[in-house]
This record gives sequence, C-alpha cells and structure tokens, in this order.
Amino acid sequence: MKILKLNSDSTEIIEEAVKCLENNGLVIYPTETVYGIGASAISSKAIDKLLQYKGRREGKPLSIAVTDQTMADKYVEINEQALKFYKNFLPGPFTVISKSKNVVDHRVNSEFGTLGIRIPDYPLITDIVKKFGSPITSTSANASGKKRPYKIEDVFANLSEKQKSLVDLVIDAGELPKNEPSVVVDTTLTTPIALRGSLQKNGKAEVLWSNDENETIELAGRLMLNHLNQLQNNGLVFALNGSLGMGKTIFAKGVAKFIGIKETISSPTYSYINEYDYKRLETSGTFYHIDAWKIDDQKELEFLNINELVKKNNVVVIEWFSQIQEWLALNEKITIVTLDFEEENQKRKILISENHK
Amino acid sequence: MPKILAIDTSCDDSSAAIVDGLVVLSNIVASQHQIHKQFGGVFPTLAKQAHKENIAPAINLAMKQAQVEWLDIEAIAVTVGPGLAPALEVGINKAKELATTYKKKIIAINHVEAHALSPLALSRGKKEKIVEKQAENLPSLAVVISGGHSEFILIDKIGHYQKIGQTIDDAAGECLDKVGRLLNLGYPAGPLMEKFAKKGRPGKFNFPKAMTSHSDFDLSFSGLKTSARNLILDLEKNEKLDKQTIYDLAFSLQEAVFEQISYKLERVLFSENLEKRIYPSRDFLRHLEKDQIKVTEINEIWLGGGVSANMSLRKVIRKLLQKYYKLTGKKIPLRVPYSKRLCGDNAAMIGLVAGFKFARKEFARTEDLDRKPNLGILC
Repeated sequence: MKILKLNSDSTEIIEEAVKCLENNGLVIYPTETVYGIGASAISSKAIDKLLQYKGRREGKPLSIAVTDQTMADKYVEINEQALKFYKNFLPGPFTVISKSKNVVDHRVNSEFGTLGIRIPDYPLITDIVKKFGSPITSTSANASGKKRPYKIEDVFANLSEKQKSLVDLVIDAGELPKNEPSVVVDTTLTTPIALRGSLQKNGKAEVLWSNDENETIELAGRLMLNHLNQLQNNGLVFALNGSLGMGKTIFAKGVAKFIGIKETISSPTYSYINEYDYKRLETSGTFYHIDAWKIDDQKELEFLNINELVKKNNVVVIEWFSQIQEWLALNEKITIVTLDFEEENQKRKILISENHK
Repeated sequence: MPKILAIDTSCDDSSAAIVDGLVVLSNIVASQHQIHKQFGGVFPTLAKQAHKENIAPAINLAMKQAQVEWLDIEAIAVTVGPGLAPALEVGINKAKELATTYKKKIIAINHVEAHALSPLALSRGKKEKIVEKQAENLPSLAVVISGGHSEFILIDKIGHYQKIGQTIDDAAGECLDKVGRLLNLGYPAGPLMEKFAKKGRPGKFNFPKAMTSHSDFDLSFSGLKTSARNLILDLEKNEKLDKQTIYDLAFSLQEAVFEQISYKLERVLFSENLEKRIYPSRDFLRHLEKDQIKVTEINEIWLGGGVSANMSLRKVIRKLLQKYYKLTGKKIPLRVPYSKRLCGDNAAMIGLVAGFKFARKEFARTEDLDRKPNLGILC
C-alpha cells in the first residue's frame, strides 16, 4: 500500500491514482464529505476486489463518481428531474439515482437496476476521473456498517489485515471537516425523494406523489435498501399514518416484497399483529406487520410488546401509528421512518420523515 | 381406525378433540370470546395466556367425553399453522409434552387443510360407509371462508391440493366483523351481522361488485369495507342510522360478500383447463412440474370455515349449483360440516386430517415441530 500526502505534487498523485485504477486497484481518496474508496466501475476484477474490501453488501448499490453531466449521460438515463439536480446541485454532496444503462459492472447497480451518480466538489477527484477516462466507485471507505470515515485512522481502525492488504493507494488529506455523507436522491420515482439526508429545510418531510400502487411498493423497497444498516444494527420501524384505503397495507406489501416474503400480506386488523420470518441474502429476521387502529389505550398497547419486537434484523411496520405514538417509548437508537399518506387533488401524497435525519 | 387426540390453539379458541377416522368422538372448544370481546380483536399475547390456562382442561374433558384412556390413543395431532404465532406455540408445546410423557407419535396439521376437509367429518354413531364413496367424489373444490381465510382449493386426492384463489386483502369473515365493529356490534360481530341481515330488507343499499374485472379467482373485500365505512359515516352524520337501517345495511353487505364468493365460484366451475390456473406465481410451476394436480372436473364442493355456518352463504352456493345443473346437466353436491362447531376453529377437524396422515405414516419428529404462522395449503 502506498500513502501519498495531499500536500505533495497533485500531478504525481493523479498519475499514481490513474495507474493504480488501470491495474484494477483500490484507491482511498478524500471528498467534500467523507473518505471514499475508488475502483474502476467498469472492471469486474476491480469490483471483485472492492466487494471483498467492503464485506457484506446485502445488495446495497455502490455509486460512481463522474466529472460532469455529459459523462454521467453515458452511464444512466437522465430524466427531467435528474436534470434539475445536475443543474442546481452538482458538483456537490449529492448522489443522484437514475436508471442505469448497464455499462458499469452489474454489481455497481442497485437491485432495482438503478445507479447513483456523484460529481464530487473536490477537483482532485474529478481530475483523476477525467484522466482515467471512466467512472470510479464512490462509496465510503469504511467497511459495511462501520463508522463514517473522516480521517484515514477512522478507516483503518475497523479493517482486518486482509482488508488493509487490498488497498493499493491512499490519498491522505488529514482530517476532513465533519460534513454529512452525500444526500441520496432517487429520481426514478414520480417525484425525486431523498433516501438519505434531506432535501427539505427545518426537518420538514420529503414529499412523494405516488401515481399508483406499484410506486408505493417501489418506494418501500428503496427505503428498505437505504436503511439496511439501521435494520442490521438495531432494527427498523416504519410508522404509517393515513385513513383507510390510502395505501398503508400496500407499503407493507412492498417491504415484504423487498425481503423476499412470498406469502400474501393482508391487513392484521383482526389480530393486531402478523409476523413473517424472512431470509434475504445473508440476513434472517422477522417482519412484524401491526395495525394499531383499534388500540385505544396504553394498556392495550402493552399487550403487543412492541419494544421486544424491535431488534436487530427485525422490521416492524405499524399502520395507524398516530394512534399509539404518545404511549410508545422506543429506544432512541432505533430508526423510525414515518410516512403520512394523504390525498390532495385526487392524487396520493406521501410525506416521509425520519427521527435520525 | 386409530384414535387420535387433536389440539388446536391457532387463534382465539382452545380446542381438543378425540377422533376415530372420520368419526368425531368428542370436540371441546373453550372459547376466549369473553376475554377478547372488550377489545374488538384478538391480542396474541392475551390469547396465549388464555390457551395456557384452557388447553389442559379441554384435553381432559375431550378424553372424558370420548371415554378414552391414554392407552387408547395412538397419536397426538396439533395445528402448526397458519395462525397467531404465540397462540400456536401453546398447542405445540402441549403436544410435545404429552407425546414425550405418554410416548405417542405426533402429527403436524395445517389448519386450512383441516377447514377444507371438515365437511367429511361424521358424528358419533354413524358408520364410515362414506369413505369408499368419497373417492368417487373427487376431485372436489374446497371453499374455506372464515374470519381469517377465504380460499378456493382444488383437491384431486386427500393430501394433494392446489390453491387456485384467495383473498388479496381482508378475509370475508374479517370484512363482516370489521363493519360490525363500526356499527358497535362488539366482537366477534360476524354472527350478529348474520342475525341482523335476516331482518334486513333487500335492495336498500348497493355495494360495489369487486374483482369482476379480474379474470382470476381471487377475492377482495377491503373495497366493500371502505364503502361500508363511508356509508356508515354518512348515515351517522344525517342521523339516519336507526335499527332497521342497520339491519338493511347488514343484509346488503352480507349479500355483497357472498355474491362475490359465488361469482368467483361460478367462474371456477365454468373454467376450462383448471389445472393451468396455478396460484399464485410462476414460482409454483416449478414446484408442480413433477406433481401437477390433475383436475378435469369438479365433482363436489366442500364448504368449510367459520362463515360456512351462515345459511345465506349456503343458499347462495346451492342456487349457483342449481344453475350449473340446468346449464350442464351435471349435479355437483355441496357438502358442509355436520355441526356449527365444526365450522369454526375446532380440534376435531385437526384430528380428521391426522387420520389420513396416520394412514400415510406422515409423522413429525418432536424436535422438528415448530409453529408456522403463515403456513400455506401447499406445504
């Protein structure tokens, strides 16, 4: 492994990095958010190596760094929504998800056939990509599920010797300012929605206009995919609100579909709670589908034992969440994604917010 | 035939029975309605507690009524699913415990299969002459309609099934229960809805006919539930929700639910190449390639599940079968459970299926026995 300090000659750094990428090597590099790890996105050998480095991915996509919109256009289908982001927010700390043109190695795509594009606001990196002539992966340099890396020591602290040995080059820029990871915006649904970070100020909810049931199902899958770490650490809660027939159960079906549950998901109103064991790739857990419509007081809520259900690898979808919100005290570490289903001008509006955003 | 002790704790009734082949020697059902009625639904944790208290007395009573001793019993049958996981657990643990203590074989039973075969049960004293006759009557179509299930299941021989349609949202009984609750009829509201429907006048309300545009055999009742809810809100607002209006509404809603079942049933009866209508996804094709169900025609309809006790539902289906007879010249008999108790959740139907499994030597290993809350009919 070679370590280059950023204050050395940038021409030399670029040359070294390009040489390394051409040999299917792995480069750890600084960005305006966290340290990233780059491999040639079109080389299956390089991606093999990267996946070995990152460890369990569970189908999580890797995004790619490009120099500009023209270059991005070769790898993804840029629709009107995406175009707005390219114009207004890039280069910058955003990952814009579009439909992949399948030029990159298929493992770089998400399982929905989408691909995240990043144009870092960090000239050194775009210079490297420009010189290299094709995109590099732009995933954070930590092993899957580990601490966000703001300095090289953060990266190495959680790596095994074997993982360390896979890294060919490190570009060390010292300690980076503690900026949040990039906001991940999915532009493949009707309205762009932030899957990580937020597009809204003051903690306001993201708004998605869902056209049909399929889109609600898709949304559930995207949200699951983006919360796999939370799911695997402490468990995940989806809190759903909205009146009858708004699509809450459809969303639950989407969650079930994502984790590979084959059974028909039907409303648990009669017995309050349905449970389904699942196994998706390497993760096994339980999906609990709760209907809180008839829960009228705290005593009834206690019969459900929700606190015991929310744990590592379990996903809990609660319909009519507002019914029990005031009495439910979950561990603060647990991520709760709240979705409010509304109807406006005969269109379905879904407001999405999260306690940890 | 061997005498079997059967246990069912799948939902909110703790039940034990002694069954001898198709003959039900005893069938004890300890209802938990008193516990759940205050809430309007079944909390799995409360159901579990009640099962724990009820199941041993239920077993004792079942043995006493059937006048059997442990020596007479050859196997213990227990429901492993589908049902509420914590509730199933109680019955399974009890079965394991008894099987170990008394050195009996264990038979794992699918609750839906039991509802499907429940019309075959015979009351004590009847001879089992029907057993031979039964083979002639296959293939049959089981229609299981209850608070938790609404399914069409093809049967070409006992133990060999193919689900061809099911509800994609609420079960039929669930729909009636839920709307009953909106009308403050308590829990479970279904049976009360039936009583009220009898006093209702036809044609006062019109509910949409669901799923007629879908060419499959699936059912959907959540739309009915939504329109009933809107209707009730509207009637309440205009202060028109009097007694007779509730009767009329119950009538129309029940009619709409049963009409849908009958409509899809008609579609099944008149369908060609039924065996190609595999449910629900192409994944099952692989499973079935070797062992494809072969159904050229349906010779009987077996109606099971809690709602099968409803006389209006039976009437609607009989009317359809008469129509079928007029058009095709073929008589398809409707077979229903011999008692109301056999319609709802009960252990006798579990013992009945166990009799068939006993003959096929399909025993479960105690250590493998586990709850399967979402067990399907294919497993």
